[in-house]
Amino acid sequence: MQIRNFSIIAHIDHGKSTLADRLLQSTHAVTDREAREQLLDDMDLERERGITIKASAVTVRHVHNGEEFMLNFIDTPGHVDFSYEVSRALTACEGAVLVVDSTQGVEAQTVANAYLAVENNLELIPVVNKIDLPAANPDDVAMEIEQILGLPAEDCIYASAKTGQGIDKLLAAICEKLPPPRDSIISETRALVFDTEYNDYRGVVVYVRVFDGRLNIGDRIRMMGVGRTYVVTELGKYTPKPTKVQTLGAGETGYLIAAIKALADVRVGDTITLDIEPASEPLPGYEEPKQMVFCDFYPSSSAAGSGGKGADFEQLREAVEKLNLNDASFTFQTVHSEALGFGFRCGFLGLLHMDIVQERLEREGGVEIVQTAPTVNYQILMTTGEIREITNPADLPDPNYYEEIREPIVKMEIIVPKECIGDVMSLCGARRGVYKSQQYISETRQMLIYELPLAEIIYDFHDKLKSMTRGYGTMDYELSGYHKDRLVKVDILINGAPVEALSIIVHRDSAEQRGRALLVRLRKEIDRHQFEIALQAAIGGKVIARETIKSMRKNVTAKCYGGDVTRKRKLLEKQKEGKKRMKSVGNVEIPQEAFMAVLDQGD
Amino acid sequence: MQTTPISVDGQQKWASLPLSTARTPVRSLYVHIPFCFHKCHYCDFYSFVDSRDRQGVFVDRLIEEFSALARHAGGGAAADAGEADAAPALDTIFVGGGTPSLLRPDLWARLLGALRERFDLSTIDAGRGEFTVECNPETVTAELMATLAAGGVDRVSVGAQSFDQRHLVTLERHHDPENVARALALANDAGIRRRSLDLIYAIPGQTLKEWASDLDRALEADDGLEHMSCYALTYEPNTPMTKRMRRGDFEPADEGLESDMYEHTVRRLREAGFERYEVSNFAKKREAMGNGQWAMGGESSDVTTHGPLPTAHRLPVSLHNLVYWRCGQWLAAGPSASGHIVTEGGGHRWKNVPHLTEWMQGVAASGGYSPIIDHEPPDARRALAERLMMGVRIAEGLCEREMQERAEPLGAAEALQRAAAGQAELGRLSLADARWRLTDAGWLFADGVASELMAALAPGESTGRVAGDSSVRG
Repeated sequence: MQIRNFSIIAHIDHGKSTLADRLLQSTHAVTDREAREQLLDDMDLERERGITIKASAVTVRHVHNGEEFMLNFIDTPGHVDFSYEVSRALTACEGAVLVVDSTQGVEAQTVANAYLAVENNLELIPVVNKIDLPAANPDDVAMEIEQILGLPAEDCIYASAKTGQGIDKLLAAICEKLPPPRDSIISETRALVFDTEYNDYRGVVVYVRVFDGRLNIGDRIRMMGVGRTYVVTELGKYTPKPTKVQTLGAGETGYLIAAIKALADVRVGDTITLDIEPASEPLPGYEEPKQMVFCDFYPSSSAAGSGGKGADFEQLREAVEKLNLNDASFTFQTVHSEALGFGFRCGFLGLLHMDIVQERLEREGGVEIVQTAPTVNYQILMTTGEIREITNPADLPDPNYYEEIREPIVKMEIIVPKECIGDVMSLCGARRGVYKSQQYISETRQMLIYELPLAEIIYDFHDKLKSMTRGYGTMDYELSGYHKDRLVKVDILINGAPVEALSIIVHRDSAEQRGRALLVRLRKEIDRHQFEIALQAAIGGKVIARETIKSMRKNVTAKCYGGDVTRKRKLLEKQKEGKKRMKSVGNVEIPQEAFMAVLDQGD
Repeated sequence: MQTTPISVDGQQKWASLPLSTARTPVRSLYVHIPFCFHKCHYCDFYSFVDSRDRQGVFVDRLIEEFSALARHAGGGAAADAGEADAAPALDTIFVGGGTPSLLRPDLWARLLGALRERFDLSTIDAGRGEFTVECNPETVTAELMATLAAGGVDRVSVGAQSFDQRHLVTLERHHDPENVARALALANDAGIRRRSLDLIYAIPGQTLKEWASDLDRALEADDGLEHMSCYALTYEPNTPMTKRMRRGDFEPADEGLESDMYEHTVRRLREAGFERYEVSNFAKKREAMGNGQWAMGGESSDVTTHGPLPTAHRLPVSLHNLVYWRCGQWLAAGPSASGHIVTEGGGHRWKNVPHLTEWMQGVAASGGYSPIIDHEPPDARRALAERLMMGVRIAEGLCEREMQERAEPLGAAEALQRAAAGQAELGRLSLADARWRLTDAGWLFADGVASELMAALAPGESTGRVAGDSSVRG
């Protein structure tokens, strides 16, 4: 039987998941009745946000020209934060279906994902999707694909995942055009871990692609990287229901269960071999997930400023540890802030990932969190020549001890309508972007390539881009290195006491403006107190901006009579409730919004 | 010992409340008259302009409700069955609205006569109780005042609101400021000695100077004025005024200005001999009352008090309102009127249906029982929260021992004491003489104090902290 391993890659919302579902239906892996929207996304959160977080591998059988094929397809995440997961999935494949929405055209992630596939030597099948829509423009989009990706326009398959049009043609192309997996090149078993997932009932489920040899139930396997061994208790494939098999041979993908307790015990990218007859060399490995964005989580409670590790902190710790079993791609370590008490410094793949983790902690762990503004990691060249990495502006050493601060720089591809180019270029300029090049996509659209400091884009860059292009602009980026710049730390003092969580590292030239903008935001976010509150922004002890929050003059309802009791009681209870998601610094209550004010660029 | 709820047409009636569980007989009554000339745009009381003449039939229904209330109000087992034979005694009656003075004098005479037939008003007649009717200046006539006085009314509360025509227009009040003094004089002529004036400040566009002038004019309006209520304009939800403010039609008064106005009020009225006994209510000290013919009424609170007799008792305070502020008991008659009885486990609160037609139909169909809404059954935690919320607002404050005794069974005594100490530290609350009273600086923060004290009662509030502490040790 022939085997085809492939991925579906696309820009977000171009219909990847719907296409996957339609393929399953067409191969009769699921009945029409079973077919529900976006079958492969199985977390509530994914469904709510309409994005795919976890990659899944599904195996179906298909008969093409009288020959039976085993099609293994791997659904990949669509958001920029998860591009490393996309790369893992691609390594397990020989080909990829590149989906482009015929009403939208080629977008930044289309380009990024296509490049990634080409780097992995995958064969590409371009699909122009959603041709059933009135606004579809398949011929123009096919031209864009040829123009920017070099794939001949006539090779594009026109399809509608919704109506099923073109799906047979696509299945035929998968069977005919995609290469079969290579044969074993050594006799020892080598299987690549390309994804893992944690299941409350079954423990860790490991997704593998067998490259050489074979895996059988009962085998004692060895993780070549971590060196631990396990006995395989179950092998199977998702069809898409989990279906147990006795063995997985070379070229096949499937899942493996082996009494592995936590996701941290398996390294994605590791090579599995047999303990009894190990391979001498692992498969070329994957890269470790790289955390790009960092922030602190503290349990929210106005009482916790006292500094003790209270019950709230323990509850947060439990939630964080439990979630980490499910999602090993975020990192965490205990932090203690003078102002905010005990919490966790966490690292994420990107901002969306950060939001998802926070939401899952609150939803699944039942804790309320106060989150500090996300920052990037900086490399500090110390006077001793040592390079120290910090993920928190508060950890920046005294200026006497370091030579320079280097910040992460990304290479950014932005695809925008022609008439918006001026606006987008000034946005990039304001964010310290360095123009690299410009590329023609079509009559109406262009691709801009910039180098930008990551710190300048992590928060609202995407929103700004979307709004100035009326939603048409798209972006994708990858880390390109660390550059030094004239960066300074701006400290924020509340009634004279520095609040580390509000410190920012910014370019010297914009320090005053950013400091002032931050204080103005803080003044709006922090409620009036009994006393006057002084807000100051300072660089190395020199105050560069100040604001004052006047003391509260009154908090009293004029009228309260017999008929008002119930309503007034509820109002007063709410008044207290409203203070919950706050942190006390000294005797100043700071709401969650104030911590995020740090990110307001004031532009 | 819950009795079977009486329900007519599927609606809950107040007679379903186990009135016999009241710790003492209920001796106060609030009567709501919903009619108005004009619906003022800041007002959130239930009232409307009656286009049909329904005053007569309204009074008929009200009298039916009095009858039913009288049968139930006496306390004891007979209360639930509605079989009390003796007329129950009332110490305080308050007739509010709406505009009660809009009711025609002949209807007032019927209403007052019916009240007297059904209830024992001897405490009021003896000058130891209180019977107040709210009046709008433009509706006061000699005939009406004589009718009220003859029926036993011994106190009027006149809604002056402002003496500045411009600000009256903002409030959509359409009386002539000159009518205020006239109305008060007519009441005095009729022998109604206890007179109170309502004023509103922090009206959009009003200056501190203008407010000061309003206060002065109020004090000049009547030498015998014994009581003043001065309210900052409050933007109640769902009033046209609030909607206009939210829409940005005008700016509400600045917080600082409003505070200055309040502080001026307290100062100015103190100069004139008025003492603040509630956030917005002021009563004139007896020695400052001319011949001192006025005699303070008896103890009408149902609430056990410990410690020295509060100063409020030596003042011509509104005894009826003091019942509200002490979380005492009162009956309710008329649409949207609310009532409260105190039981062992807390208290029942309820509200008559706030709709004239529905109320009239309900009363007519059941022989005097209004349908009720918003019934809250006894809950010790809620009752204490209400006691704290209302109690901090009055000068006599709260008795520390009572608070502790009531918080103890809720497991909140320690947390409550800590919260009070916290407010004392902030300088808002005085804990002297085993009473919790707002300090001079604390009056402007009564809501903040109340919400902090109330939060100490939240379940888990005290235990949560203890758990946190122990985990630090462990």
